[in-house]
Amino acid sequence: MKIKKLFLNLDDVANAALFLAVFIGIWQLVFVLGIWPKISLPSPATVAESFANIISNYTLFKGIGITLGRLVVGFFISIALGAAIGFAMIKFKGFGKTMSSFSAGLLSFPSIAWVPFSILLIGFNDAGILFVVIMSSVFSITISTYSSIRNIPPIYIDAAKNMGAKGLSLFLHATIPAATPSLIIGIRQGWSFAWHAIIGAEILMSIVGLGHILSVGREFQDMGQVIASMITIFTIGLLVDRLLLFKLEEKVRSRWGIE
Amino acid sequence: MTKLEAKNIEKYFDHDGQKLQALGGIDLKVNDGDFVCLVGPSGCGKSTFLRIVAGLDRPDNGEVLLDGKPVIETGPDRILVFQEGALFPWLKVIDNVEFGLKIAGIPKSERSEISKRYLDMMQLTRFAESYTYQLSTGMKQRVAIARALVLDPDVLLMDEPFAALDAQTRDLLLVEMQLIWERTKKTILFVTHNVAEATMLGNRVAVFTNRPSTIKKEIVIDYRRPRISEDENLSKYQQQILAELRPEVKANV
Repeated sequence: MKIKKLFLNLDDVANAALFLAVFIGIWQLVFVLGIWPKISLPSPATVAESFANIISNYTLFKGIGITLGRLVVGFFISIALGAAIGFAMIKFKGFGKTMSSFSAGLLSFPSIAWVPFSILLIGFNDAGILFVVIMSSVFSITISTYSSIRNIPPIYIDAAKNMGAKGLSLFLHATIPAATPSLIIGIRQGWSFAWHAIIGAEILMSIVGLGHILSVGREFQDMGQVIASMITIFTIGLLVDRLLLFKLEEKVRSRWGIE
Repeated sequence: MTKLEAKNIEKYFDHDGQKLQALGGIDLKVNDGDFVCLVGPSGCGKSTFLRIVAGLDRPDNGEVLLDGKPVIETGPDRILVFQEGALFPWLKVIDNVEFGLKIAGIPKSERSEISKRYLDMMQLTRFAESYTYQLSTGMKQRVAIARALVLDPDVLLMDEPFAALDAQTRDLLLVEMQLIWERTKKTILFVTHNVAEATMLGNRVAVFTNRPSTIKKEIVIDYRRPRISEDENLSKYQQQILAELRPEVKANV
């Protein structure tokens, strides 16, 4: 059971390969049928060529590096800020109530709608992009911190207090660990919001990064580059979620015995 | 010597906007090393009383004295063993057992020494590295008892800790509990709705009335140990308790 988890499951790999083969097959078929002009829908081979092109001139790697760098900085600020607001909401009940409806509203606020505000307030620069990323993900962290702590079964807190925990020790040894399974879900969600936001912000606000590569592809009517960037964005999103966040969540869940 | 004293404990709850009196003035004196069982109809407030003694709830009236000093907050001198165990699922068995010691700032080596002794006593040594979901209900309650004992509390408070166990496991733990009590000389307050369980464990059994509850009668059980559930001589005490309890339960139905 444990060994199976450590290695890639062969069935899963076979299924994924089959799915991919069928997808590329249909794509090729649609291309051959000529429903769209070649410039609007290039063949898989042309996209592979574009891929090779942006890989060999390092555009892609530079773009990935810049985007992920911004994302990591923005996301960590989000976690720190979101958790701090969440804790304050627990501590001050009135603030918690108000902020929780406010955050719920901002949670569904489209990230792209922050762009004009950010350009005018901060400028057409890295800090402006970070601002969009933070505003798009911080409220998901805030709400998840708040609700994770509020939903802790009171018996854990009672037991910990009874055994002498209070103040900081109660917080570190009972509150945080008891809230962890649902905190991680919030962090996963926050990450996905941050990821949406950075690509959107880069398309509109950046002269480097993955989002910019995408928007250059559009400007030069280079559909090959557009699709190659999209595939890259998809792959990175998938890898980070599956290899990092999902693994983390699974680890906690298995320790707790949650199926 | 009086270890613990409850004086006129009253407690009210809000129930659909109405004030409901759960405890109507509980008076109880517990001597050092006493094993007192509290029985009563369900919903009579036995558990509430135990939480008040633990300092997890505040009484609306009256006070609890430990060694003559009023109890104002919860703390490791009165450890409560919850019905559900309340083990921490994020910790291994051994870390659950050492939790209170860690909070108290006791160094690692000393902690391991103490926890080893109690894991041994509760026959948990081979489960030390397990997580709690891997344990049976009976094992979980053993961990909860070990977690309480490591702190060497003045008073051990137990809230129906064996209610969720199957009959065989319960019988086993009822005998073990008596051995633990004889070995540790702990003062124990034990809530149960099971009269047979009360007569096996307690050297005194306090019968609660219906809400608002008071203590109706205290029955002393001066009988050899370890007592086993098959012992027919215990039935005399059980009849005595049931005679007190029956009208309360009837009033409750």
